[in-house]
Amino acid sequence: MPGYFEIQNLSVGFRTFEGERRVLDIERLVIGRGETYGLVGESGAGKTVLALTILGLLPKPAAVVHSGSIWFDGQDLLQKGEKELYARYRGKRLAMIFQDPMSTLNPVFTVGQQIARVVEKQQGLRGAAVAKRSLELLEMVKLPDAQSTLKKYPHELSGGQRQRVIIAIALSCGAEFLIADEPTRNLDVTIQAGILKLIGDLQKDLGISVLFIANNVGLVNVFCKNAGILYHGKLVEDGPSELVIRAAKHPYTQTLISAIPRDKSEKLKFASTVIKPEAQRGCPYYSRCNLAESICFDRMPMLETSSSGQKVACFMAEKQ
Amino acid sequence: MRWLSDFIKTLQPTIREWRLSFYLLNRNWLQRVALIVIALLVLIAIFAPLISPYPSHAISATNPKDKLLPPSSRYLFGTDELGRDLFSRVIFGTRISLQTALIAVGLALLIGVPLGAIAGGLGGAADEIIMRITDIFLSFPPLLLAIAISAFLGPSLQNAMLAIAVSWWPWYTRIIRGQAVSIRERQFVRAARAIGTPTFRIIFSHILPNTMAPVIVQASMDIGGVILTIAALSFLGLGAQPPTPEWGLLISTSRTYFLNAWWYSTFPGIAIFVTVLVFNLIGDGVREVLDPRTRKF
Amino acid sequence: MKKFILRRLLLGIIVLLGVALLTFFLARVVPSDPAAKWAGPRATPEQIARATIELGLDKPLYVQFGKYLLDLLQGNLGYSLRTRRPITLELQESLPATIELVLISTIAAVFVGIPLGVISAKRKDQLIDHLSRLFSIGVVSLPTFWIGLILQLVFFRVLGLFPMGGQLSTEIKITMDIPKVTGFIMFDSLVTGNFRIFLDALWHIVLPGITIGMYPVGLVARMTRSALLEILNEDYITAARSYGLSERIVLWSYALKNSIGPTSTVVALSIGYTLVNTFLTESIFTWPGIGNYIASAVIGLDYPAIMGVTIFSAFSYVVLNLIADIIIALDPRVRV
Repeated sequence: MPGYFEIQNLSVGFRTFEGERRVLDIERLVIGRGETYGLVGESGAGKTVLALTILGLLPKPAAVVHSGSIWFDGQDLLQKGEKELYARYRGKRLAMIFQDPMSTLNPVFTVGQQIARVVEKQQGLRGAAVAKRSLELLEMVKLPDAQSTLKKYPHELSGGQRQRVIIAIALSCGAEFLIADEPTRNLDVTIQAGILKLIGDLQKDLGISVLFIANNVGLVNVFCKNAGILYHGKLVEDGPSELVIRAAKHPYTQTLISAIPRDKSEKLKFASTVIKPEAQRGCPYYSRCNLAESICFDRMPMLETSSSGQKVACFMAEKQ
Repeated sequence: MRWLSDFIKTLQPTIREWRLSFYLLNRNWLQRVALIVIALLVLIAIFAPLISPYPSHAISATNPKDKLLPPSSRYLFGTDELGRDLFSRVIFGTRISLQTALIAVGLALLIGVPLGAIAGGLGGAADEIIMRITDIFLSFPPLLLAIAISAFLGPSLQNAMLAIAVSWWPWYTRIIRGQAVSIRERQFVRAARAIGTPTFRIIFSHILPNTMAPVIVQASMDIGGVILTIAALSFLGLGAQPPTPEWGLLISTSRTYFLNAWWYSTFPGIAIFVTVLVFNLIGDGVREVLDPRTRKF
Repeated sequence: MKKFILRRLLLGIIVLLGVALLTFFLARVVPSDPAAKWAGPRATPEQIARATIELGLDKPLYVQFGKYLLDLLQGNLGYSLRTRRPITLELQESLPATIELVLISTIAAVFVGIPLGVISAKRKDQLIDHLSRLFSIGVVSLPTFWIGLILQLVFFRVLGLFPMGGQLSTEIKITMDIPKVTGFIMFDSLVTGNFRIFLDALWHIVLPGITIGMYPVGLVARMTRSALLEILNEDYITAARSYGLSERIVLWSYALKNSIGPTSTVVALSIGYTLVNTFLTESIFTWPGIGNYIASAVIGLDYPAIMGVTIFSAFSYVVLNLIADIIIALDPRVRV
C-alpha cells in the first residue's frame, strides 16, 4: 500500500533530435500527510520537471513519461487522463508555486481579475462572494492594503508582494498538497525570510503537505522534516533532513554542504576534481566524483539504507 | 595538424546547428515537398529551351492561325492572342523570374551588407546615420517605393530589378548590423583590435564573415517575395516589356482576353503562386528553425 | 510615458522629413531631365521651360527642396498631366473608395485572421494547424491581381453571381440620386436610408473585398500564431494551467490578451500592404480609388500623379504606424 504521496520508479525523458535524453529517474520518494519534504539539486537536475510531471503539465510531445507511478491519496496520478486531472486535481487538491514571481503572474490582468478567475472556476462563486473571498485570500497571505492590491497590475507590485499573491492564488481552493518550486530564488534575501515563514505558517495552519524544491541545502534543514538530493534526475540521497544534511553519505551531498561557508574566517573550499568521462550506464555523478572506482562506471547504484539511517545511492558511501 | 583539430572543434557547434536545422526542416513533409519543387523549378529554368515544345514562341514568333486556342495535347496551356504556345512561354518565364529575383536580391545584398557591417562595426554616428536611413526606406509601404523608382527610371526589367534592390537593402542592413554589434564585443575581435588591426580590416575580415549566415538565409527566403514584386511591377507595366514572357506581364496582357480564354491568365498565375509558395514554405520553416523561442524539439 | 510619446513623435517627424527628401531625390535629382518628366511625354519646349521655372530647377538644390517642403506642407502636390487638375483634389475624390476597401480587408484580417491564428497555435503540429498554415502561407503567396481576375472569371463569367467591377450598377447610377454626405457610398446610403443603393454597393464590394482581404488575413493569422506560441511558453500560462483553469480561458483570454501588442503592430503593417495591393486590384475591378488612379498614371506616364500618390501613401503609412505605436504604449498592461 503506497503512502499518502509516493513516487515509484518514475522515469521521464525528453526527445531531442539527437535521440532521447533521460531527465528524471526516481526510484522512490515518499511524503507523508502534513509533512514538508525538501528536494535539493543544482539547476538542471530535473526539479521543475518533477513538479510539472506531478501536475501533468509536461510539454507534449517533447516529454515522455516512460514508466512509474505517482501515488496521491490512493490514486495514481499518471494513470489519470487530462480531463480528470483538470477537473479534480489541479488547483483543487494539488497546487504549485513557481520559481519566478516576475513571470508567474499574467501581466495584462489585475491581481483581482486573476484571483477571481480561479475562485470562480474552482469554487463556483459569483459576484460579491468572489470579491469577499479574494480579500480573505490576500489577508491570509498577510498582504497589507488588500483592497487596493486587488486593483493593481502585477508590474505595480514588488517581488515579495507578487509571490504572496501567487501563494494566495495557489491555495485559494483548499489544495492539500503544495509544490513550492524554489519560491524564494529570485527574491531579495530580506524578503525571502518573510515568504518562507508564510509558507511554513500556512503549512501548519492548513495542515497541508509541501514538496519544497530548493537549490539551497541550508533552507531545507530549517524547513523540512525529510529531504532528498537530486543529481542529474536521480535521487542520490533521501532521509530525515538532519541526517542528510549533518551526516551526508553521498559524495555529491558532501560537496554541496562543504560549499556553504560557515563563518567569515573560513576560506571557501572548491572541490578539486579530475574530470572523468561520463559514465553511460553507471553513476551519474561518476565524472565529478573523487571517490569513484570502476564499479561506479559500470553499474548504477541503487538507493540503500545506510548505517546512519538515510538512504544513499552510492557504492562508496560506506567505505569512507 | 593541431590547427586542423582546433579548426574542427570550432566548427562543431556550427555543424551541430546545421544538422539540427536540416533535421527540423526535413521533419515536415510539406517543407520536403517544397524543397523538391524548388529543385525542379531550378532545373526547368536551366533547361527551358530543351523542355519547351516551341522555344521560338518564347519571344516573338507568331502563329496567327492558332490564336487563343484552349489547352490541348498540342498546346498544353493553350495559346495567346498571337498563337504562341503558353506552355513554352510560362517555362521561359520561370527562367526570367528566378534570374531577375536572384539578381535583385544579389544587388540588395551588395548594398545592404557592407552598410550594415559598417554601421554595426563602427558604431557611433555612422551607425546612427545609416540606421536612420534604413528607417526612412522601411517607412514606405512595401512595393510602393519600387513602383515610384521604376516609374522614374523608366519601365524595363533591368530598372525593375534595380528598383527592388534599392527598396529592399535596408532589411539586410538591419540584420547584419544586429549581428555585427554582438560580434564586435567578442574576444577574437577585441584581440584583433588590441594588436592594432585597422578598423575597416576588422569589419571586413573579422566581423563580416561571421555575420553572413543569417543574412544568406533571409535572402534565400526573400526570393519568393521578390518574384511576386517583379510580377506585380510587370503587371502594372513597370517591369518586363512585351514580348518578354514574364509571368506578371503575361497576366497583364491576358486581361483583354481572359473572359473568353480562361487559360491565358490561369496558368501564368499558377506558376507565380507555386513558385512563391514553395519559397515561402521553406522560409516559414527556416524561420521557425532559427527562432530560439519557437525552436522546440 | 510622455517622454516615450514625445520621442516617438519626434522620430516620426524625422522619418517624414526623410520620406520627403527621398521622394524629392527620386523626382528631381535622379531623372536626367526632371522638367521633361514633369511636363509630360508630349510637352512642347515652352511647356518644359515653364516646368523648369515652376519647379525652381534653375535654383540651387536646397532652395528647391525648401520649396518642395513648403508645397507639401500646404498640401500642394502639383497638377496631373492628364487632367490638368490639382492632384490633391483628385486624391481626395478617390480616397473614400479605397478606404472602404482597406477597411473591409482590415476587418477581415481581425475577425478571420486572429481566430485562425489562435486555433492554429492551439493545435500546433496537428492537421488543422497544418491546413491553416498552408492556407495562410498560400494566401500571402498569391499574386493579388491574379486572384482578382480568377474571381471575376468564376463569379462573374461562369456563375454570374457578382458584377465584374465598379462601385455601383450603371442603372442605379443613372436612375437614382447617390447621396453624398461623407463620400463613402456604403455609409452615406445607409444613413440616408437608401437600402437599394447600399445593397448594390455591398454586392459590388464582395469580389474586390475578398481579393484585397486575403493577404492581410494570412499575414495576421501567421503572426498571431507565432506570437501565441511564444506566449504559451511563458510561466504564467503554465501557472494558469496549474490553477486548474480551462484551456479555453488559458488560450482565448490569458494568452490572447498578451498578444495584443504584436497583433496590433501586424494589423497596422497589413494596412500598408493592403493599400499597395489596391494599386494592383482596383484597376481590375474599375474601382474608382487611389489604386486605379496610380495605375492609370503609370500607363499615361503621369509623373506628378505617381509622385503624389507615393508621397501620400508613404505619409499615411508612417502616421498610421505612429498611431499604432502610441496606442500600444498608452495601454499600461501591454507596456511591461
